[in-house]
Amino acid sequence: MNDKTALTCRACGAPLDIRNLVSESGWREAPRIKNMTEFQFSSSSCQVEGEIVPVAEINLSPGDSVFFEHHIMLWKDESVPLTVMQLSGGMKRAFAGMPFVISVATGPGRIAFSRDATGELVVLPLHPGMELDVREHAFLLASHQIDYSFIRIKGLANILFGGQGMFMDRFVTTNTPGLVILHGYGNVFERVLKPGESIMLEPGAFLYKDSSVTMQVEFQKLGTGFFGGTNMSLARMTGPGRIGVQSMYVHHKTE
Amino acid sequence: MFCTSCGGKISDAANFCGSCGSQVKRATAPVPPMPPPLAAADPPSAPPPSIQRAGPTATCPWCGAIFDGSLLSCPRCGATVDAPPVSTASGWEKLPGRKDMAKLQFGDSFCQIEGKYVPVADVKLAGADSVYFTHHVLLWKDPQVNITTMSLAGGWKRVFAGMPLIMTQAQGPGHIAFSRDDPGEMIALPIQPGQSVDVREHLFMFATDKVAYDWFSTNIWYTTQTGSGDDAEQETHHPVGMLMDRFHAPQSPGLLLLHAAGNVFVRELAANQTILVKPTALIFKDPTVQMQLHFEHPHTGFSLWGSWANRYLWLRLWGPGRVAVQSVFDRMEGENSNITSCSSATEQRW
Repeated sequence: MNDKTALTCRACGAPLDIRNLVSESGWREAPRIKNMTEFQFSSSSCQVEGEIVPVAEINLSPGDSVFFEHHIMLWKDESVPLTVMQLSGGMKRAFAGMPFVISVATGPGRIAFSRDATGELVVLPLHPGMELDVREHAFLLASHQIDYSFIRIKGLANILFGGQGMFMDRFVTTNTPGLVILHGYGNVFERVLKPGESIMLEPGAFLYKDSSVTMQVEFQKLGTGFFGGTNMSLARMTGPGRIGVQSMYVHHKTE
Repeated sequence: MFCTSCGGKISDAANFCGSCGSQVKRATAPVPPMPPPLAAADPPSAPPPSIQRAGPTATCPWCGAIFDGSLLSCPRCGATVDAPPVSTASGWEKLPGRKDMAKLQFGDSFCQIEGKYVPVADVKLAGADSVYFTHHVLLWKDPQVNITTMSLAGGWKRVFAGMPLIMTQAQGPGHIAFSRDDPGEMIALPIQPGQSVDVREHLFMFATDKVAYDWFSTNIWYTTQTGSGDDAEQETHHPVGMLMDRFHAPQSPGLLLLHAAGNVFVRELAANQTILVKPTALIFKDPTVQMQLHFEHPHTGFSLWGSWANRYLWLRLWGPGRVAVQSVFDRMEGENSNITSCSSATEQRW
């Protein structure tokens, strides 16, 4: 709950004086976080700066920490210590030819993050018992109360780049509420699927989902009349739960 | 007169073009102008009203549609009604403002344009309506919307990012949404019966089934050579694409939706009025607008032998008709190399 006088949500930065934009087909636009909006998590705070390629700037309190992919750090205070999170199987995962490393920054001090393309930040406070699945390389940071793991989904990637598969990050809350911030390319939309309700997604559009939403790869053959045509893979997402999509896809070579 | 496919000069009696061999298409019916041309700039003290409101109806400044004056945006192209059209002092018109979630109508179906950075075209198809698109722009769809392949004669020649370009058709009822992978703007082009528009390839999002689709060779190319003697390598470049899409509404009106990168600017050229644009920035043009390459050599005082960089390569367009450019464009390959031959071109040496 927020103060009646507050202009933005204390937990996720969403403007409170603008109503949600919902399309007639049921997609809610991710709240466009106003430039310089500040919000709280644990005893630390985050300020979102900029609007075209937004930066998340974290002011960590002593004892709080956040984890992230190391290549998205924009700047930090010299005194903020960095460690590497131990991951099982992480060595096999590579990002654009770099080894995939999750780093941890611990307070006190400031550290800021941004990704490499136009997009929106999606701030998702997670309560105990919530599980969130996120497309690989889409999360900007998560707070230390959240457990991180990942799974590989075969046959799922953008239409343009074939179905060589992709990873999905899984965030699980322990006993205390935590925070996950994602960066979606282009614009981000969310909808809640009812139990059994489903929607077909271009795999490149998938951004996040509650773990209760199931994802199934379906192939559709597109004939060209010559050479047998090509296969189009679509992801069938079935409720109950939230799904988030992004309107632009940037392909990072994943091995 | 000039050949419509290569721009070469041909005699008025000729049935075929002497330079490219294409058949001369005689204008049977003049192409109607699409949107009414911009009103001449009024003195700054009196900004032009954004919309001509005549009693209970309003006329859209972008597509010319006449609709209920109480609406906030044009139901045919989504242009915001209460914002004045912005045009530069040089005569380029910016795309009309579009509120997030603006809605346009075609047939019994609707299209809502969502998002501001990389907008999504969210189409609600009525049962009898269908749209076609190239399959890589699909973002999401309801499971019951059926997708089939459209057969295109010779379509297998067309390739996008190494894949065959497949034209697919979606049949209502249900929702289907499209987007492309560039921050940019969505352009709604309602097409009137008998009207056509030429569009740079791979920019089109979808067209309604009443719109006929064809393509033609742009015949705009240049060949570069690297190395010399036995090591010489020739490469041919097509700065506006080897092929250009042509959309035509034969009998009934249709809707064409394009997505361009960056911001979009449109202008209307008078007959024989010319403009030079970056070849890779061209988005669309009326078929009456002709194009050819244009080389410009700035005055240097003395000749720097082999300094290919000191030369500008333009696309020269001349009216009558509209042309549109995008502010984000691809680098022109081979622009600064040794150009050994090219399609018909004009030249300016300062």
